[in-house]
Amino acid sequence: MAAAPVKTLSVSEQIQQLNAARKIVLENAAYYDRIVKGILPIIGPTSPVELRRWGAEFLAESLSTPALTTRDKENLTVAILGTLRALVESPNEDPLVLKASVMAAASAYPVVVRWIIHNSYHVESWELMSAIKSRILQIWDGAVTPVKISCIKFAQRVVLAQTASNGLDPKYNGLDISLSMIPANHPVLDPRLLEAEATGLLDRMLGVLQDNSSDALLVDATLNTLSVLVRTRPGTSSRITNVVLNFNPLKLANSPMTPRNKVLIKSMEKTTRMLLIHLLKRDPNNPMSGRIQQHVERLMRSRAEIFDEANRKRALGEQGAAGYNDAKRQRVEVGPPQPQVQPLAPGPQSLAAVFTLTKDQGLQGFDVTQVPAAFASRVNVRTLIGIDQQILDQAIYTVRSRLSALYAATPAAPAPPVTSSAEINAETAPLGVDEDDDDYEPNFFAAEDTEQILNKLDSAPPEEPPAQNADSTSLATLGQFKLPTPPALGPETAMRASQVTASRIFGPLSILEEPTLRKTKAGINRLAASSYDRDAWLTLITRLATRSSAGLEDADSNVKSEDAGTSLDKSSTTLSTMVREMLYNYVLEDWRRRIEVAVAWLCEEWYNDQITKRSKTEAPLHYETWALRLVDGFISYLTPQDKVITRFFAEIPELSKGLLGRLKALCGDPTTVQLALTTLLYLVMMRPPVREVALDTVSEIWLEYEEARPLAAKYLVKWRPGFIESHTRGAAAIEEGSSDGTPNSTAMLST
Amino acid sequence: MEMENSNGSASSSAPALAPAQSQNGQHEDPGGFKLKFCTVCASNQNRSMEGHLRLSQAQYPVISFGTGSLVRLPGPSISQPNVYKFNETSYDSIYRELEAKDPRLYRANGLLNMLGRNRVVKWGPERWQDWQIGMPRIKHEKDQGSEGMEGGIADVVITCEERCWDAVVDDLLSRGSPLNRPVHVINIDIKDNHEEALVGGRAIVDLADSLNKIAAEEREKIGATAFDSGSGMGRSGFDERVPDVLAEWQERWPNLPSTWTLAWF
Repeated sequence: MAAAPVKTLSVSEQIQQLNAARKIVLENAAYYDRIVKGILPIIGPTSPVELRRWGAEFLAESLSTPALTTRDKENLTVAILGTLRALVESPNEDPLVLKASVMAAASAYPVVVRWIIHNSYHVESWELMSAIKSRILQIWDGAVTPVKISCIKFAQRVVLAQTASNGLDPKYNGLDISLSMIPANHPVLDPRLLEAEATGLLDRMLGVLQDNSSDALLVDATLNTLSVLVRTRPGTSSRITNVVLNFNPLKLANSPMTPRNKVLIKSMEKTTRMLLIHLLKRDPNNPMSGRIQQHVERLMRSRAEIFDEANRKRALGEQGAAGYNDAKRQRVEVGPPQPQVQPLAPGPQSLAAVFTLTKDQGLQGFDVTQVPAAFASRVNVRTLIGIDQQILDQAIYTVRSRLSALYAATPAAPAPPVTSSAEINAETAPLGVDEDDDDYEPNFFAAEDTEQILNKLDSAPPEEPPAQNADSTSLATLGQFKLPTPPALGPETAMRASQVTASRIFGPLSILEEPTLRKTKAGINRLAASSYDRDAWLTLITRLATRSSAGLEDADSNVKSEDAGTSLDKSSTTLSTMVREMLYNYVLEDWRRRIEVAVAWLCEEWYNDQITKRSKTEAPLHYETWALRLVDGFISYLTPQDKVITRFFAEIPELSKGLLGRLKALCGDPTTVQLALTTLLYLVMMRPPVREVALDTVSEIWLEYEEARPLAAKYLVKWRPGFIESHTRGAAAIEEGSSDGTPNSTAMLST
Repeated sequence: MEMENSNGSASSSAPALAPAQSQNGQHEDPGGFKLKFCTVCASNQNRSMEGHLRLSQAQYPVISFGTGSLVRLPGPSISQPNVYKFNETSYDSIYRELEAKDPRLYRANGLLNMLGRNRVVKWGPERWQDWQIGMPRIKHEKDQGSEGMEGGIADVVITCEERCWDAVVDDLLSRGSPLNRPVHVINIDIKDNHEEALVGGRAIVDLADSLNKIAAEEREKIGATAFDSGSGMGRSGFDERVPDVLAEWQERWPNLPSTWTLAWF
């Protein structure tokens, strides 16, 4: 670089040699002692700066390496101290050399303390270390930032070594060296002095937080050293936690939001929050954990506000109005600490405006009634817990003064006592939440007023008239209001609307109680859907699905050929299909428990099909389709324990060959063979009309599924004697075996 | 899907060209100062490895880690991930296992391509929390970017997801900063897919170049120190300029939100 070529060559050669030496110690830590001592003369304060940098960094690395134990490092550290002192004391030393030297000193400190504890005769090493310490503490304030950071870390190690430990400290790199190790009567080290020094140093370290510095580098560097102190040095924890809790990392948000500031704010906020969360996680029983938790939440909220606002502001800025600059700055200041409230503009005001404290347009337009009451109350409780008393007082005062100003302005009102009117109105606010003044009709208002009284706010009646007065004035300002004419309703929109309506029919199902106690069956005399519980509602839905378009579908099939009618047809058919589709989904969502719903639904479908058949129209039949879909829907989820399938097949009103055929699929899985065959056996035994169809299915299973044969054979031997023999003989006499029943006809069972 | 393959293989050659151009200066000056980097993502497979590869191609010393409890790779369905242990499974063995399981699927979803890339970068996924910071890493000569990482420390840690940044910072707090060595921990939010990883890789190299530039400048200011070091504002070191560099970088990469802190090893 700037130096003469010959010299650079020799320096770079030397560095090459040094690098080779470093490689040796990295490969084998046993050489550290020898090699470090060997290079000390080369890297002293009189050497070229490149060598000093290399040397200081190497010293820092050697003293911190985890490859050596603290005991191993003692010798090394004591040997280095002289050079280290020379480096930190040399005037105008290169910042990089200083930074690395201070880092090395930070690693050396606990080692030297330990060494002196056990070797009190070796006073000179303690003197060297003390000299290094006082030099570092002396240059700390005036140093350039990178050096300053190292000084913070050095101070942290001093504090760590000179405060009492709780025994939880990590047992490596000297983190476990503490005041507790120093005997009270140590000839060199006086624990009380050391502890006092540590307290002072801690205060100095925390100064950057107490001053609420915006130098993110120093703030982060400090915050990130504190965890181990709080966790393992109980004497420091409450002090540190308090300082961190009082530190406002978002203070910088008051200055212009430049990209750099954004980086700094985000960094300080996140670093603070990480430290607090870390402490909370490690020690949830900490008496301060409640405060920490709150603080973390508050930080997150404020951060979100600031960065939301920043985004919004940038959009505003892009509109290019130079005049916005001041307003912009103001708005950020409003932020968390002090909400500035403007006095109301002259003229009539809505009640909502009186209570509006925010200047945020978006928030002002927010309709609080949209928030579910339960949620709103939770938010309120949370806010009331966390709110700053001053802010609350100020808000109350503002509203109060606004109201008294308003009363002063309305001549008609016989001025009531200001305070009580403020209270009354404060109560009305949550009731008449809407900004629209329309709500404040006299009788409406009066009705709510009784609630207020219940609300334990007493003696209100005389205050009504003025409130009415205020309302009437604001009503007058509104002028006429006309609702805009709604857009024309096309078939498309109608479709979509009916779809939404159909889906809303299913809404109550999740809210309605499941009838826990099965009341006595009313028998044939019961009236459907009269109990107002979930069952009743389901009855309603199933009938809606099956019967709502019962008379219409036949018409469809006639008109279908004509193009003109198609859109109407489609919508009318889809309405019931839609409900069916949703019902289907509803059942499948939890089919094991909703199998009863499925059965009830299919009964309705079957009934409807019977009616349709009787009317001799061409209308489509639905029972078979939906029964098959339902079975297909859950059959692949069946497990051997699902006896519910047996019940399903036993209870649905009509069984066809196709439906029973679905059971065959179960025999492909050896675990469900038993289930399928038991189901069929049940049908054979308990539903004589379908006995033959069921037996046909069993015989098909016997023929098609090798593994299912033993069980199927057992049933066949009993219920269809001769079948197996005829087949094992090789005769193709299946027809004969099943000739009694009409194979493709369906068997019926009245319900 | 084949396209993705060809994209992927193209990607490994494209950056090879790019750094060759941008790194010319550094090649001519082999003694040039190099910051040491560490990239971190959840599984040390996709984003951190893309960063690792790019940084090593740009001649930076680099290592990489994952912060997850296990290495998780997508499987045939969302509920059947392929799970491996950190530090014990090599990229090569994962590659061979997946290739044997379902070559079509894992080629189509880009996993084999990714693992193929990773196995030439280093041996296997490493877990951040198991990393013994400062332990010499001399047995890793075959890893790309291992040159300069022998000391086992990094100057800058770049995480690829906020969650990983949190894990890294929290872990550093737990360790108690035994080495007394400052480290810049920077998060860049990169979505976990192959395309975004490529973009993220470029952004990481851009950030690394910018940081290295100021670090190198700091090193060059030797003469100035002699009369300037006392006055503080006269010069500013690498550490102080990191937020500036990051702010400028963020303007260039507005879609990759970043977070930074100065932590301690």
